[in-house]
Amino acid sequence: MDAIASPSVPDVKGASGAGVRIRVRGLAKRYGALEVFRSIDLDVGDCEILSIVGPSGCGKTTLLRCIDGLIPVDEGEIWVNGTRVTQPIAGMAMVFQHFGLFPWKTVYGNVAYGLKMAGASKAEIAERVPHFIAMVGLKGFENAYPYQISGGMQQRCGLARALAVEPSVLLMDEPFAAVDAQTREILQFELLRIWEQRPTTMLFVTHSIEEAVLMGDRVIVLKGRPSSIAETIVVDLPRPRTRETLREPRFAALREHVWSTLLSEARRAEFEVGGGL
Amino acid sequence: MASLDASLAKPIAKEAPRRRALGVSGVFLPRLLAGLAIVLVWEASVRAFLPAYVAKPSTVLLAIPKTVVDAAFLAATADTLGAVAQGLGIAVVIGTLVGLVIGRSPTADRMLRHYVNGFYAVPMIVILPLLSLWFGYTSATRLATIVYAAIFSIVVNVSDGARAVPREYMEVARSFRAQRLRGLFEIVLPAATPYFLAGIRLAAGRALIGAVVAEFFTAIGGLGYFILFMSRTFRHDEAFVGVALLAAFGVGVDVFVAWCTRRFLPWYRRDERSA
Repeated sequence: MDAIASPSVPDVKGASGAGVRIRVRGLAKRYGALEVFRSIDLDVGDCEILSIVGPSGCGKTTLLRCIDGLIPVDEGEIWVNGTRVTQPIAGMAMVFQHFGLFPWKTVYGNVAYGLKMAGASKAEIAERVPHFIAMVGLKGFENAYPYQISGGMQQRCGLARALAVEPSVLLMDEPFAAVDAQTREILQFELLRIWEQRPTTMLFVTHSIEEAVLMGDRVIVLKGRPSSIAETIVVDLPRPRTRETLREPRFAALREHVWSTLLSEARRAEFEVGGGL
Repeated sequence: MASLDASLAKPIAKEAPRRRALGVSGVFLPRLLAGLAIVLVWEASVRAFLPAYVAKPSTVLLAIPKTVVDAAFLAATADTLGAVAQGLGIAVVIGTLVGLVIGRSPTADRMLRHYVNGFYAVPMIVILPLLSLWFGYTSATRLATIVYAAIFSIVVNVSDGARAVPREYMEVARSFRAQRLRGLFEIVLPAATPYFLAGIRLAAGRALIGAVVAEFFTAIGGLGYFILFMSRTFRHDEAFVGVALLAAFGVGVDVFVAWCTRRFLPWYRRDERSA
């Protein structure tokens, strides 16, 4: 790579104007003999949404967990907001695939959790929590327990919990994979609406091509075993993106493009059972 | 304003009515019938085969009014239950801490697991002579027996519960940068509460047995000694009032724990969707 690969001095505020929020260089992760991914390089700009797609088991969730600092990497470096990530850092929040709500806490308690851990005062919590509960459309459900609300509402709660700490980087781990199809669509546009209201840098991991294109400013496709970045596709669709976006020819073309990249990979993988060379 | 899920329209179900759907007759009647059957068989077999001084339900029932106002009986009851409460309290605090550490630290687990299981399996009755050597024929021996009897069921249950905490909860805690100790008390402890309550249920029963056994051995007074003394002086009816009280305590703990579960853990067993 070029000069920016220099590990000691991360060039956080890029000369291009927009700051680089996430910088990943030469990342590799192994579980014993199994190499999950290798030589991953990423730059995600301020308020950019980067979608990551790939076939099941390609390590996209693992990559996200590495970036959050939840699991150690074997090679390479991750910088977020100019800080080298070796464990979870402030300014970053994750939305979990299975929501990760605590069943013994109410919606209010769950949304307040991140703030509490960040050391916010009682007054601050009392002021901010209702705001974010309203933002995700859960007003009136503050005292409901997770078992009392639908999956879609549970993920709204998970989103509010992440937003409440006002992160500059939001990590989304297949956030809508565990809800039904209609709810998923509703939540996608909800998230876009919230993003317009309050833009943040976002890494959006999904296995849905449509979702990746709808959300992302760029889409990266992971492929191979171990996987690496096969292609980066710039999504030049205007924002705000709405249901209309889905009907645009450009959207269909981009979706087809990502799909063919993935398909060639999926085909190859299918005939490579047992791990060919 | 946000557009809402279709499912949002559905009100939150209040679950209480379904739980009571069986109603008083559905729950209470079988219970009452079973109790009556036990009492009748007891009464009939004593009348048919045994001498008159042997306790039977009718005479025990008649003995209740004068026993429950007997100062000696009341003092003995207060003595025993006080000791049980004290010992249980000590066992709960220490047992919970040890259980959390064993459940979350593989090192502590490797170090302590076999010892805990070993002591859990040793009957308290064989420990008692040792304890009475150390503490003498005093109430300290009884307290030590109660703690010994109760603590291991709590350690075993809490450590099982702490081990069973879903990994995702711990990841959420770490992702939001919870300190390790806060994670232990704010995530692991609540997640393990159902196990903790099951442990208390077992521990309360064992604590009571421990107290009575210690009183049998050391003659330091209390309800166990009262029962022993009454039966040795052929006042079986009075002795059985004491026994009935012990049984009632067992039922009481069960009812109390069940009530606590409903009151403080409304989410328990209803969280399949969110887990």
